[in-house]
Amino acid sequence: MQAFLAILRFDLSQLIHSWLVRIWVTLLAASAIFLVSVSANEGELASETLAIYTAAIYVPFSVAVLAVLAVSAVNGEASVTADSILSKSVTRTEYITAKIASRIGITLGVYLLVMAPFAYLVMRYAISDTSVSGVIIGLLMVSTLLSFLVAAGIMLSILMRNVLFAVPVLIAGVLLSGAVLQFVGLTWMSATAVINELPETFRGETPVWDEVRVLFVFISLSLAAIISGIWQFRRKDL
Amino acid sequence: MRVVETSELTKIYQNRYIALNALDLNVEKGTVFGLVGPNGAGKSTTFRILLGLQRPTAGSVKIFGEPMTAESADIRRRIGYLPTNPHFPRNLTPIEYLQFVGAISGVGKKQTQIQLSRLLQAVDLTSAASQTVGGFSDGMRTRLGIAAALIHDPELLILDEPTSGLDPSGRKQTIELIRELSGRDRTIIIATHILGDIERVCTDVGIISSGHLIYTGPMAEMRRLARQGTISVEIEGNTASFEQQIHTLDELGSLQWERNGAEFRITFLGTEPLPIYIERVLQLIDRTGVELLHINTGADEIEEAFLTRLEEDRTRGFLRAAAWAATQDIAGTRSGPNGSGKNIVAQEPEVIDAGVLGDPTL
Repeated sequence: MQAFLAILRFDLSQLIHSWLVRIWVTLLAASAIFLVSVSANEGELASETLAIYTAAIYVPFSVAVLAVLAVSAVNGEASVTADSILSKSVTRTEYITAKIASRIGITLGVYLLVMAPFAYLVMRYAISDTSVSGVIIGLLMVSTLLSFLVAAGIMLSILMRNVLFAVPVLIAGVLLSGAVLQFVGLTWMSATAVINELPETFRGETPVWDEVRVLFVFISLSLAAIISGIWQFRRKDL
Repeated sequence: MRVVETSELTKIYQNRYIALNALDLNVEKGTVFGLVGPNGAGKSTTFRILLGLQRPTAGSVKIFGEPMTAESADIRRRIGYLPTNPHFPRNLTPIEYLQFVGAISGVGKKQTQIQLSRLLQAVDLTSAASQTVGGFSDGMRTRLGIAAALIHDPELLILDEPTSGLDPSGRKQTIELIRELSGRDRTIIIATHILGDIERVCTDVGIISSGHLIYTGPMAEMRRLARQGTISVEIEGNTASFEQQIHTLDELGSLQWERNGAEFRITFLGTEPLPIYIERVLQLIDRTGVELLHINTGADEIEEAFLTRLEEDRTRGFLRAAAWAATQDIAGTRSGPNGSGKNIVAQEPEVIDAGVLGDPTL
């Protein structure tokens, strides 16, 4: 447990001090402030403003950043991992769970840091057409999408040695999954469908069952990716 | 007590490259064991398997009597490891890095502070304590790696090319540090491709070639074997007379000699002790009236002995494989269906490797 906490602290500190995360948070926060002022001055609907920010700014920009952060989690620092960490009294499970916790932690931390005040300000200053429960569920659904992306990215990071190749593979996988799911009649499971539904979700108009199944599917997929990643990493030669 | 024990350790990468070939390595507690072999011989792979960083394709590995796996953190707590050209997080200072290593090694904060100050001084990095590791030279990284390997005062120290990237003064300093670290029941395993680097500190040595241990035994024995029968003398004066009378030394058995300017290198092929040969050579020098400038009884020959054994192993490779196949047939015939012929197979290399000095079972 001591090793897990030490690695978690270390990885979080490395992430927080990285330029990528600093630029990412700054741009998200700046664009959020801009949208709040626009929606307040122009009398935009809160649900539309929240959905536009999520779909057009937060998700696309974060997918690119999170893909890099997730895919570089293990193989991006493979030599450091073996030499400096796993040759010490650290189990593979402690190491990889600490890595997963820190990467998902930074994802959800930044999301909460940016989206919570943004949602509050939009609901307060734009034309309010949202329900509190709808906003909470909508934000929760997007957070599970992002968590799944990170979990899949870490799994890919364990399987693929080339980070530069793994990043486009992950992004392409996310984009192609929408088309494949549509083809097999499971459109509701795609990230695109969830994001398109956001205005209704924020207004509390999406059926509860639809929300529950989306949450269930993405949480399950995230857990499957995490368990599979841990299993792979425990068997991996370093 | 055996600290390290491997049995038929084999590592094959992607069914394409055999890195370790049935390696049987045993290291006793309190020894300083030198694992010597050319680049690509399998030294680093051996260490990575000993540490649980890689899984063996076949065979077993025990450290402190316990099987080593990727999850054996408790065993690794008793091991310090220095990899070749170690990699560290680039944006940390040595103090931050050693604090991190102390934390993951289960060392208390206060103890880590005391240890890191002492270790940074010991590896001469005190003046670089404020720099980030990213700006370190290879030698500085190696020295930081040594400090990191020692932060939790391990019982077993595994050093992979500890003098790599060091200047002559750094090499000497590192060897002295290893000498200081030996004893106190600590076991040290050092891998290198330069036998001369570790010759003075090792109590035991193993020579590895193509993933196979071709010699293992006490360093003193290796040294004795290396020096046996070869004497180099540098003389001046009537060297022609000396050269003419060298053949008179053959009363002790056959010999070979070669001349390189004023230096004569005489190799006795008999079985007399070295002092007898030295005495006879000195008598010849006296008799021929030449002046002795320098005599060497093989102090520099250990490197050559190492290379000779490598060469012997290479030339025997086919013979060994053929003989092993033959013993498999014999074992299969003798053992019958219960497969009890394993001992016969294990003993067979004794015959095949009879010309390889040291442990005959290898």
